[in-house]
Amino acid sequence: MPPEGTAVAGATDGSQYSFAVEYNGPPVTYDIPRAVPINVEKIPVAAVVSQVPLSETLSLPVVQPVLASASLRKNFSKELELLGSSKTTVSPTSVIAFERSGSGGDDGGDSGDSGDSALSKELELGSGATVSPTSVIAFEERSPENRDGGCALSGELSSSGALEFSNTNFESGELSDLANSSRVLGSSSISHEHSQELLVGAGSSSTIEFSDSFDKSRGRSLRTLRETSGRNESLDLNDLNQSDWASTESVLSLDYPSSRVSSIKAADCNNVLISDVRRPQVVTFRDIESDGGADEEFSMDEPEIRPAVKREPQTKGKKGSCYRCFKGNRFTEKEVCIVCDAKYCSSCVLRAMGSMPEGRKCVTCIGFPIDESKRGNLGKCSRMLKRLLNDLEVRQIMKAEKFCEANQLPPEYVCVNGKPLCHEELVILQTCPNPPKKLKPGNYWYDKVSGLWGKEGQKPSKIISPHLNVGGPIMADASNGNTQVYMNGREITRVELRMLQLAGVQCAGNPHFWVNEDGSYQEEGQKNTKGYIWGKAGTKLVCAVLSLPVPSKSVNTYGEPLSNQLSRSVPDYYLEQRTLQKILVVGYNGSGTSTIFKQAKILYKDVPFSEDERENIKLRIQSNVYGYLGILLEGRERFEDECLAEMRKQRSSCKTEPIGNSDDSDDKNLYSIGPRLKSFSDWLLKTMVSGNLEIIFPAASREYAPLVEELWNDAAIQATYKRRSELEMLPSVASYFLERAVEILRMDYEPSDLDILYAEGVTASNGLTCVDFSFPQAASDDLIDAGDQHDSLTRYQLIRVHARGLGENCKWLEMFEDIGLVMFCVSLSDYDQYASDADGSITNKMLLTRRFFESIVTHPTFEHVDFLLILNKFDLFEEKVERIPLTQCEWFDDFHPLISRHRSTSNSNSINHNPTLGQIGFHYVAVKFKRLYSSLTGKKLFVSPVRGLEPNSVDAALKYAREILKWDEERGNFSLSEYSIYSTEASFFSH
Amino acid sequence: MSVAELKERHVATTETVNSLREQLRQRRLSLLDTDVAGYAKSQGRTPVRFGPTDLVCCRTLQGHTGKVYSLDWTPEKNRIVSASQDGRLIVWNALTSQKTHAIKLPCAWVMNCAFSPTGQSVACGGLDSVCSIFNLNSPTDRDGNLPVAKTLIGHRGYVSSCQYVPEEDTHLITSSGDQTCVLWDITTGLRTSVFGGEFQSGHTADVLSVSINGSNPRMFVSGSCDGTARLWDTRVASRAVRTFQGHKGDVNCVKFFPDGNRFGTGSDDGTCRLFDIRTGHQLQVYQQQHGDKDEPSVTSIAFSISGRLLFAAYGNGEFYVWDTLLAEVVLNLGSLQNSHEGRISCLGLSADGSALCTGSWDTNLKIWAFGGHRRVL
Repeated sequence: MPPEGTAVAGATDGSQYSFAVEYNGPPVTYDIPRAVPINVEKIPVAAVVSQVPLSETLSLPVVQPVLASASLRKNFSKELELLGSSKTTVSPTSVIAFERSGSGGDDGGDSGDSGDSALSKELELGSGATVSPTSVIAFEERSPENRDGGCALSGELSSSGALEFSNTNFESGELSDLANSSRVLGSSSISHEHSQELLVGAGSSSTIEFSDSFDKSRGRSLRTLRETSGRNESLDLNDLNQSDWASTESVLSLDYPSSRVSSIKAADCNNVLISDVRRPQVVTFRDIESDGGADEEFSMDEPEIRPAVKREPQTKGKKGSCYRCFKGNRFTEKEVCIVCDAKYCSSCVLRAMGSMPEGRKCVTCIGFPIDESKRGNLGKCSRMLKRLLNDLEVRQIMKAEKFCEANQLPPEYVCVNGKPLCHEELVILQTCPNPPKKLKPGNYWYDKVSGLWGKEGQKPSKIISPHLNVGGPIMADASNGNTQVYMNGREITRVELRMLQLAGVQCAGNPHFWVNEDGSYQEEGQKNTKGYIWGKAGTKLVCAVLSLPVPSKSVNTYGEPLSNQLSRSVPDYYLEQRTLQKILVVGYNGSGTSTIFKQAKILYKDVPFSEDERENIKLRIQSNVYGYLGILLEGRERFEDECLAEMRKQRSSCKTEPIGNSDDSDDKNLYSIGPRLKSFSDWLLKTMVSGNLEIIFPAASREYAPLVEELWNDAAIQATYKRRSELEMLPSVASYFLERAVEILRMDYEPSDLDILYAEGVTASNGLTCVDFSFPQAASDDLIDAGDQHDSLTRYQLIRVHARGLGENCKWLEMFEDIGLVMFCVSLSDYDQYASDADGSITNKMLLTRRFFESIVTHPTFEHVDFLLILNKFDLFEEKVERIPLTQCEWFDDFHPLISRHRSTSNSNSINHNPTLGQIGFHYVAVKFKRLYSSLTGKKLFVSPVRGLEPNSVDAALKYAREILKWDEERGNFSLSEYSIYSTEASFFSH
Repeated sequence: MSVAELKERHVATTETVNSLREQLRQRRLSLLDTDVAGYAKSQGRTPVRFGPTDLVCCRTLQGHTGKVYSLDWTPEKNRIVSASQDGRLIVWNALTSQKTHAIKLPCAWVMNCAFSPTGQSVACGGLDSVCSIFNLNSPTDRDGNLPVAKTLIGHRGYVSSCQYVPEEDTHLITSSGDQTCVLWDITTGLRTSVFGGEFQSGHTADVLSVSINGSNPRMFVSGSCDGTARLWDTRVASRAVRTFQGHKGDVNCVKFFPDGNRFGTGSDDGTCRLFDIRTGHQLQVYQQQHGDKDEPSVTSIAFSISGRLLFAAYGNGEFYVWDTLLAEVVLNLGSLQNSHEGRISCLGLSADGSALCTGSWDTNLKIWAFGGHRRVL
């Protein structure tokens, strides 16, 4: 018997021995390191596997040397181990040898004739280690045949899985089986025959009968792989629990080589499969197919099947035992994986489930959708976990389990009126004020007018919020009624008809009703309301008896939705994550990023600034005004000095003239102030110089407000104010505030939105500020078609960062990789202004902006991000460009506005026919930036002019940004030319 | 004195300083007859050797949904706090690999986190320029979020790193993009002292990292984008005790050597260096030869408890274990089978030195420890 078995085994498994050949070389002790490069040949080897004839010749010589030196092998394996330790990769082949020798050693001690069995086993192992599909199939085929002896054997045979639990128990059990019962052997040889069949006729029709198990076994073999690797990772968790961390020495021990082995095997069948959990399944399958030459159809439909396939745990050991340690029985307390239904005992659960980022799932199941039948148990903790972990930990796990995205109800599983939902529809359904409770996958019907909701083919079960835009139109046979009475186009059920009759609704003559959400009903085609179905107290009772739904109170009462919000099934956080579009606003200093940010806040937030913020802003504005005053006073001193000097000069020149001017009036001039104001002025200047203005400030306003009034009204100050253009320090916005200085510095001053917009330094000038908003669904917003209802769900986050530190070597720009769009602000009116750059040299601000633009645009983080150029301060620019030529900035020296004449003849687009110089200038600058951008990145730059202080202008720019983000999503459907009006306009200058 | 005159003087002075600096460097070079590795070799030391199970990944902490940017261990219990770009701090139990707290941050752009010495609170800072303190024992609010216990406001740039002063739950040192380091009093929420800044001799670029001397908590060292590391005495805020030059790129990470007399740095120039704080000398450069390719920047470093090993994570995903004595790479954890898939952004050693935790851009943290001699089969 045995020889027969071996012969068969040799013949069948010989195909795998193309590997083994390579092993034969190594037995000479130290050559083994050279096994490493063999790795590369893995794939070609796998291809060879399917070639049966070749292998037959190779099989015998391969096996013998292995047997011959069992003891030698042992050393060999040790060496291998060592080798494995020093090298990071071990070829799969060496793994096999290792395994083989281990079992060989055991055999040698046991019995003489176990040699044969060992041989066959090795062969099996060998085949298993190569993860050829056939070996797995053999296992699958056989295990039902002989359950009795199969346990151990199947364990052995199940390829890679065998490595870990091939402890001596199993081995010896298996050995005895092999030695004593020929039946088992026979069966195993049968299995070999099967596998041989498979191998030989891989592509032929003979495989068809196996195809069923083939599928399954594929899944399982892969699972085995995954299981093993997963297990290795978490192997010692439990030990750790039991013993102290400090004594980690043995505790932390991992089956290091074995983990490597398993992953190598994984790599063997598929290079990709190393630690990615989800992908390998598909890919490996193909791999196996190509090996086995299975039918093409399989590979065709596999990807579609995959998501629906229920993951099944690998069951080993007896029924009811732990899936990991195979100990215990049905009555031991176990935790269940919510994906694959694997059950683990308390000592294994932490190893098997790891850190449970998605709740109670095996490590290998993370990321997979849960078993829908277990949805009810989400977030309900078992006693076992509570015992194993502390309260905080359990709470985190349960929270993750309930709220993590992978565990949410997949929208396509819910069909409403015959149409599977998309994500947005599901969100609408779950976030409405009165959602269907405990939504499970299935087919539902939904009456949008009345809000009635039920399972398809059944009577209504609930009345939810009406008018939700989910699913298709309701079908007449949605609830499978046969009463001929229709309600909102649905034939109602007998129970409903009964209810209607009891509620006193006239149902004779098979009427068609329109029922509104408040229960008012009318006959189809008629105007007058005939009554309210649920109006009478008795009706509700009837409904309760017939177990029909009645409208919940929350529809009527107003306060209810709030509490519903809290109890609703989908957490905000995960919705947010899905629908948040991030827009980054950057710009050189003074380009108006903060104005745009504030404007967005005012535009889209119900409460743009909280009480606290307003208070802070008020203080900020007031201290700013003091600052401006200080600058004025400084200016006044200067002017006074100049004036005095002038006067002295005059006087000295006129000294000869004997005019008896009074000495006192000598020093008086237009810019002089009284002593009281003088002392105030001195104090203010002193505090400013010392930089304490903000510290002493709130108290100061109380004390000095009246003085300020006096000061402001003083002629000297007014005279100075008239010459404000000579004070470089004074920002342009200062006049806005200074004119109202008296009002602003009162204690009861409340800053208006406009004040806030104008105010400097309100948004933190350092660091980062962000605001979340969504565009209001305005009626006038005709840009969006009505179908885009879910658009209101999309939330946007405007993030403003300060330019400082955003240089080339910026350490944190990479944090913004998930940005959808960058809005780069440029102050158009900067073209004639100068600032000192990092090196201290004075440079045109527009050039500095350009430099900054270049560094941002070319930053690797933004490689795939669209840019929207905001040309800000267009109003200032329009006014300024008339006075100061744009060519002031050397970058714009080829600006020839005369082109406008040519323009007026040739174009007929949105801009009026006589564009102002400002508009021409804007387009010119836009084209400059566009060219720069496309030369740097090869992409298209979007441009929008903005007047930061005008809400409509900023609104338009942000809506433009939204459009760009949308286009981005649908890029494939549009051709580039359709994108931007601006590009066509602006390209006039490109000749 | 006119502005032009002042400028002239400034230029002249800068030149003088530079020449003096150069002289200093020359002098140092001439005094430096050997480095650690050379001496160790001459003494016949051999590099540490690693068995296959000596350092293995024994746990994967999954739960973050964004890049992990920072982590810190508690000194006594085995808990870890990690900060991630998903805007959360997660406190882990390293033994069970379970989370105990998941703190949603008001500002999602967090760059660092720290555990307080007693393990009662955690601190974090980021692009919002403030350092937020969370008390782990305080009750959560209605939405299950932990409220901010204290906000330390005062930096004018992002907070790049923070560390509690050892043995003190009330003091914290932060470094910031505004070129300063600040010692905070947490109870009052005010700055105790500011190191560097406009008027003082401090860093001339963003400070990226601080490390407090374990044996003398009054001393700390900071690393900056200006390519230097500076040693500070918390009692003397006005000027740095010593400035350590040598790096040719931003110093991303500084870490005190366990004995407190040396510290290591990791830099954008691809090198790690060991400096002695008493002499100011550079003791050793740890550099892998990459030919003419760009050197991958060092993102984070840590010393083993004995100081013999230096763990260094690189921008290209490599993760070397250096023998500090012989300046040889003795292990490349990045190439191990179950290593991170993304760049390793932070590492930390548990207080007893028994485990190393790494945080990566692949959103996971992994704990590495001695694997023991357990039989494989």
